[in-house]
Amino acid sequence: MIEFRSVVFGYQRAESPIISRATFTLRAGEFTLVCGPTGSGKSTLLKLMNGLAPHFTGGELSGKILIDGKDVTGYKPHELAELVGYVNQQPEGSFVADTVGEELAYGLEQLGFTPTDMEHRIAKNAALVGIEHLLDKPLASLSGGQQQRVAIAAAMAAGQRVLALDEPTSALDATSAAELVALLARLAKEQGITVLLAEHRLERVLEHIDSVIVVNGDSSVVKSAPRDAFKDYRLLPPVVELSQRLGLEPVALSIEEAKRAIATPVTFTRLPGRVFGEQTLLVEELVVRYGNHVAISDVSLNAQAGEVVALMGANGSGKSTMLWAIQGTGARSGGAISGPDNTLVPQRAADLLFLNTLAEELAESDKFNKVEQGQTAKLFLELSNRTDPKQHPRDLSAGQQLALVLAVQLVKGAPLILLDEPTRGLDYEAKRHLVAAIRLMQENGRTVLVASHDIEFVAQIANRVYVLEEGEITAQGRTEEILGPTGLMPTQVAQIANQPGLLLAEQVGKREN
Amino acid sequence: MSLNPFRASALHPATWWFLGLGLATVASLSGGWLPEVLVITVAIALMLTCRENAPWSKSVRFYLWLGAFVVGVRLLFRIIFNSGSTDSVVAFSLVELNLGGVHLLGQVSWLTLEAAATDGLRLAAIIISIGMANTLANPKRLLKSTPGALYEVATAMTVAINLAPQLIESLQRVRKARSLRGRSKGISSLNSIVIPALEDTIEQSLGLAASMDARGFGRRGSLTKMQIIATRTLSLGGILLIAFATYFLLATQSQMIAIAFMISGICSLTLTIRIASARNLRTRYRRQKPGIKDLFVIGLTVAVAALVVAF
Repeated sequence: MIEFRSVVFGYQRAESPIISRATFTLRAGEFTLVCGPTGSGKSTLLKLMNGLAPHFTGGELSGKILIDGKDVTGYKPHELAELVGYVNQQPEGSFVADTVGEELAYGLEQLGFTPTDMEHRIAKNAALVGIEHLLDKPLASLSGGQQQRVAIAAAMAAGQRVLALDEPTSALDATSAAELVALLARLAKEQGITVLLAEHRLERVLEHIDSVIVVNGDSSVVKSAPRDAFKDYRLLPPVVELSQRLGLEPVALSIEEAKRAIATPVTFTRLPGRVFGEQTLLVEELVVRYGNHVAISDVSLNAQAGEVVALMGANGSGKSTMLWAIQGTGARSGGAISGPDNTLVPQRAADLLFLNTLAEELAESDKFNKVEQGQTAKLFLELSNRTDPKQHPRDLSAGQQLALVLAVQLVKGAPLILLDEPTRGLDYEAKRHLVAAIRLMQENGRTVLVASHDIEFVAQIANRVYVLEEGEITAQGRTEEILGPTGLMPTQVAQIANQPGLLLAEQVGKREN
Repeated sequence: MSLNPFRASALHPATWWFLGLGLATVASLSGGWLPEVLVITVAIALMLTCRENAPWSKSVRFYLWLGAFVVGVRLLFRIIFNSGSTDSVVAFSLVELNLGGVHLLGQVSWLTLEAAATDGLRLAAIIISIGMANTLANPKRLLKSTPGALYEVATAMTVAINLAPQLIESLQRVRKARSLRGRSKGISSLNSIVIPALEDTIEQSLGLAASMDARGFGRRGSLTKMQIIATRTLSLGGILLIAFATYFLLATQSQMIAIAFMISGICSLTLTIRIASARNLRTRYRRQKPGIKDLFVIGLTVAVAALVVAF
């Protein structure tokens, strides 16, 4: 269906290409994961499929791209519209119409389908992705998961044979993300659509995919079978890491597979117990109302010095509202909050950056916070790898931006740190840096309150978990309870091993071969 | 699709614009403050009862403030640059200033105030009427009704309309985020808030453009050589005819000739658009057609405007 023949793509100014020597073929109905560290060129590879690269991104392309036997190298996106459907990270930013039906119709209108044919195709595709009951609804009233379904139905409404999706699950909670990936797998299998999916959180997709394309940091592109792809890959999803640690050959890719292959009980080390300092944060019966809508109702929570507390729950459950209320500038309608000075890192951390180079940002932070020159830079280096100080903050990777904002905020020295969905858009490497950073804050006796729906991440850092559902706390307890095998949101390893206290692959010792 | 009778979507967007422009016409033609106040009341009542929860419906308050501002400025100017007529009932007196023959302040009469208020209200009524059309007419539906040849222009306008609220949202978000960090003296809020918000908005509009292109926007068929010649001749001719019509209307007494030129000019431009639309491959999904309600509203608007002109 798709063939890349020694495709090279890069920008003139940059010394090295983004994609080099990409040669691979994808058959019809193949479900392929595109992965690699942030900034490695995953998005670019997807954009090459429908001409958005180079036509929208600039840059130069050489080599040959064939889709359905047709040489499409150098075609413009609208010339490929009926062949390739494209879905990006934020569907709300790419919607053209107001209602679901009109959005599905947009591509069909551009391609000149007759009104009767349109009605037919809209009904069929809406049913395929399960949004047939939403056709008259305004797009803005849908949940993130529903919006992505609309974007997918719109991208294939004209009968496109290829779907390229750029991290469509990044803003979704675990359940919606899992449903979306299952939907894509079904579309590939039953409709014969070739699906290319760029995704950071490999654990969400591994069990469904047919093949993996790894775009490496050195711009090489390698396609392989899922089992072979991770042999020497540094960034491992928990299932693979656990099976590697236990010496399974071949590695298990899904929880079901791992359950069958791994003999329990597994020997593991318990997570170290911690002794915390005195209580620093106390929230009592907090209420937040927006008009008639109750965003937070009667929520009480507390945290101690040196403790990491996680707020979990689906999108819209009130996590961010909680953090902003505790921070002090968010709306609050009732209840009491007592806590020390705090500092918040919002969901879109890059909003805090406004200067032209990394160096200027670091210097401004030192100056504003009246700390010794170089303090922020020192913190930044602890949180990230060495980075060219002349770079524009907007050109940094998501992980580097977060590290910079964390450094800028941490240098203030506030004892309470609030993090809102910090893993959004981070790859495994950047996430590992973040985990280390949070553990360091904990060592220094700071209190960390983090809102996240990333179960594996929370399992690595949190001591206690509160689960929010529609503005109310529905469960709370130690991390081992909530994320353990009998808890509300078990981690992958907890589901496989089913042993109380075992949450993470890193708790299992490496078997010597 | 269910159409609530008190919702903006119950009427065709073009009808809202017709009504808005009609109200603006009435406001600009009538004298006295009462008609202006009535127009403003009608426009505000319509905005408040019919608006939907859409991005372009969120600036009602802006139009009202702008209207109030215009009235305020008008009154203030009249009080400052008061010509000093003393023949009517004096409302209040201020110390008169004489700056080299120019009289400022002084006695202000009720009549002066009324005239100034009426002038201000007239402008405010026009602003609020147009604001009403902008608030209630769904620009995306309006786009569907534009002829194919104007589609690209109309799209650009729609995107622009949609981006304005996005820019405001970005500004609010960035400002809120910025307050978390604080900034040293010497870093202006322009650099630290406006520019990032603009960058954000431009990025979003590029994203939207990419998504539209990826879905086939920008495809077009081609015109035959004859059609190209025809559209060029007709459009040039149409513009010339309208120019002549304007000349006859303004510079001579021959109104009949002016009207004839105007009509033929408009016809030839309409024909140009017709022919140029032929290269359009685009089709429309559930195009909203004007219904009985639209005709009723348009008829009523015309009748009221005619009455105002007549008296």
